[in-house]
Amino acid sequence: MKRIFIILLAAFFSMQVAGQDFTKDMTTAKSAYDAGKLEETHFALQQAMQEIDLIVGKEVLKLLPPKMDTLSINTRDDNVSANTGFIGTTIHRSYGTAANKADLTIISNSPMVSMLNTVLNTPMLGGMAGDANTKTVKVHGYKARLEKKPGSAEDKNDYELQIPLGSALITFAVDDCTDTQILAMANTIPLPQIAKLIQ
Amino acid sequence: MKKILYLACLTTGLIISDAAPAQLLKKIKDKVNKTVDKAVDKEAEKKTGIPTETSSTGNDNSSSNSSGKPTNKGGGGLTNTEPPDVKAQMAEAETAHGAKSYSDARFSLQQALMGVEIQLGRQILKSLPATVVSVPADTLQDKVMSTQWGWNNLSIQRVYRQGDKQLTITIGNNTLYSGLAMVYFGNAGMMEANNEKQNFKQVRVKGNKAIIQYDDSRGYTLMMQMGQTSLIVWECINFANEQEVMTAANTFDIDGIKKMMGEQ
Repeated sequence: MKRIFIILLAAFFSMQVAGQDFTKDMTTAKSAYDAGKLEETHFALQQAMQEIDLIVGKEVLKLLPPKMDTLSINTRDDNVSANTGFIGTTIHRSYGTAANKADLTIISNSPMVSMLNTVLNTPMLGGMAGDANTKTVKVHGYKARLEKKPGSAEDKNDYELQIPLGSALITFAVDDCTDTQILAMANTIPLPQIAKLIQ
Repeated sequence: MKKILYLACLTTGLIISDAAPAQLLKKIKDKVNKTVDKAVDKEAEKKTGIPTETSSTGNDNSSSNSSGKPTNKGGGGLTNTEPPDVKAQMAEAETAHGAKSYSDARFSLQQALMGVEIQLGRQILKSLPATVVSVPADTLQDKVMSTQWGWNNLSIQRVYRQGDKQLTITIGNNTLYSGLAMVYFGNAGMMEANNEKQNFKQVRVKGNKAIIQYDDSRGYTLMMQMGQTSLIVWECINFANEQEVMTAANTFDIDGIKKMMGEQ
């Protein structure tokens, strides 16, 4: 209980710091712009944008379910990293133990991802085209690509679900499960709300 | 199977060799006919003052192509939109942030960044010399391009042109391209051309590492790495020699551009 309280307190303060940084960056940007220092303005604006990306990432983490079926959340693995440029923002959360794990990664605001999504959405280019191990499914009405991979034992399989969303890509991977199980889990992710935040 | 292939190749070769002189003759004949027709038409136009039939039919043909689809003859084009108002966008970003609509805040910040980049590009264009090796700038072709992805992909371009001599300078900020250039800079072995004539070598422009390349069809290309992520490329068409290219590149205030781009 104490630990949870400390984590919550730390999260609260980190949010506060982010908020303060945004205001600080905007003040720097405005004064640099008034002084005609374009490069400094640019740098400060970019910093402010990274702050926004971090806040958005944390908001997305708040939206995610605390449990995936029987797998419980690993708060230590929660991670948001903001990057301006080609990599974009990465939001990560994991559930379960090392033996049975569910991994969720959201990459947003990345031009690389939008290129990848074009490939995924073009059947001729191979993304959505069906082979024995991939199929196209729908999660909350969004088209997604489900891939089957060999699991920990011969009779078990891992599954990976890729959901392209504009310049964002959501990847959800679950160890040793069935396609029905991963889809049921994916349907507990509030995709419409996440889409609203990250686009 | 192989025999059939050889036979096919032989037949095709014979047909081509037979057809080639005939085609050449036909082409020459057509060309002569066209030139004579043009000369006669011009003479007739001069004397009568009435445009001749061939020139008017030519215009008719240009309005539609063989598939019957009309060809665009012109239009007003797009109007120039002012770059985003940086101050207004910054204010909007703050308001949106206050209201916790982060997506809107991000969009406004992106717009502000684009505004700043375009202004910066214009400032750099202004600082460039008006003439380079006595070739004047064609300011109508000045370009500043910015993408929504922040500092990457800002490109500034100016063209200097006189007759068939042209110099295009592109100042870009793109980690991907400059990364590629760094591969060249870092790998000196690649510079050692094994050909009899060296078409690729390392040079220095005002103390900065650069690579120069020569290609008969494209002329000289000089690439200079600037700071961490920026790159300047000079493309020189119909320049007399390497020395002239280097003189042209040295005319530019590299340190000034570097400072404006925020590079060290």
